[in-house]
Amino acid sequence: MNIIRKIVGNQLIVGFFSFIVFWEIIYLFVQTHTIPSPLETFSYFFTVLDILGLHSLGSLLRVLAALSISILIGIPAGIFLGVNKKVNRLFSPFLYYIYPIPKVAFLPVFMLLFGLGNVSKVMLIIWIVVFQMILSVRDGVMRIPVSHFKVMESYSATIKQQYRFLIIPSILPQVFSALRISIGISLASLFFAENYATTYGVGYFIMSAWTKMNYEEMFCGIIVLGFIGLLFFKLIDLLEIHFTPWAAK
Amino acid sequence: MSNEAFVIMRDVSFQFGEQLILNHIELSLKKGTSYALIGKSGVGKSTLLNLIAGFIQPSQGSMTIGGGPVKKSKGNTAFLFQDLGLFPWQTVMEAIMMPLLLKKEKNIEGAKEQILALLKEMELESLKDKYPHELSGGQRQRVAIARALISKPELLLMDEPTSSLDSMTKEHIQQLILAQQQKLKTTLLFVTHDIEEAVFLGEIILILNKNGTIQEVKNPYFAQKNAKDQLGFYEACIEIRKSMNMELPMK
Repeated sequence: MNIIRKIVGNQLIVGFFSFIVFWEIIYLFVQTHTIPSPLETFSYFFTVLDILGLHSLGSLLRVLAALSISILIGIPAGIFLGVNKKVNRLFSPFLYYIYPIPKVAFLPVFMLLFGLGNVSKVMLIIWIVVFQMILSVRDGVMRIPVSHFKVMESYSATIKQQYRFLIIPSILPQVFSALRISIGISLASLFFAENYATTYGVGYFIMSAWTKMNYEEMFCGIIVLGFIGLLFFKLIDLLEIHFTPWAAK
Repeated sequence: MSNEAFVIMRDVSFQFGEQLILNHIELSLKKGTSYALIGKSGVGKSTLLNLIAGFIQPSQGSMTIGGGPVKKSKGNTAFLFQDLGLFPWQTVMEAIMMPLLLKKEKNIEGAKEQILALLKEMELESLKDKYPHELSGGQRQRVAIARALISKPELLLMDEPTSSLDSMTKEHIQQLILAQQQKLKTTLLFVTHDIEEAVFLGEIILILNKNGTIQEVKNPYFAQKNAKDQLGFYEACIEIRKSMNMELPMK
């Protein structure tokens, strides 16, 4: 009974099974070979596990590299804009103009500038995440109450101490929110990016299966893409609990 | 109590844009004494406190703390903010330890014992791992006071320290502030709108008027046991209120 209660209580498992049920219903009603049976797809899944693992690794590494670089650029840039009102006034119109443009539209530009290899693919994801990161961090810094800076001033805190005790901890929740918002759109864009000049990556795997009209294989790729997203969300959740324990309480 | 003037303000004025907020202030605070600063709204009480804290600079006049410029005294001055200024990411223990880390306290083990002793005095022992949002208003107030006192400041400035608390909690916090001030012999200057608080916590009550005059009233009920049970305490409150409403002649 306890095991059943645990399974039912786990939102992740419930969510996944709801997806399978929804898929099965569609499969039964639509009755087309474009939508394969979930059962057949899962049996097929284990036959392509090795090759799918390799493709997933390619996608994961691209997203991880892009996220790391985005954090390295976005946090200092966001803090810089947050603490320098004049610079913020100067750059905000540029950020507000760039931010709403669908970043996938820049894919041809990146292909021309950085070639067809991994650099253009990673650059596209950086381009998606970094503006979200800069704006979130900037807003986080600007929302720090004046009294918090006065507390630091009253103890004659150095600039380094202000960053350690005040600025960095106060922006951490914004960093995690920005990452969470960016993950979905990053994976969607990665799918586009993995459709040219590469033979590895989940995007390539899905499109390759589609051209071969192997719909079981195509759905295996879609499932894995979902799992990659889930993996990133869970990773962000864990990092957030570790680095911002006050927010979790 | 020493007779030595610890904070001296000579002909201090503060102007914000076109508006003159403080006008030719003359003030001297003795070391180890507790001062309550009261006055009508908009006379510049908080501005005066911010000037002494060094958060803003006077437009005119001179100020010294402990014989030196205000800037140099910053390490020995603590400020208790009206909104407390507690950081949401710091536990009670971390918040109280922060001033020592900022001062680069070398003997951190000894400091921990000091923190634990203060936690006990402020009745915060069982809450040391809690975050501010997990505490009640009175508990947060005690944390902010403990954070202000841990570095044993020579001067403690408080801006309406109990304004957001209910009357029972307020009285408890006032007792704790009084006990710590007496123990550490800290020079205390606090702004309040609550005349009862001023009479309970202020050895000397400073009444700031719009024209810049400061009236000093010696308070016989300061640090008296059961002061609030005496009729004279409330008579003193009435007298102070009358003095507040009376404008003194221009200097």
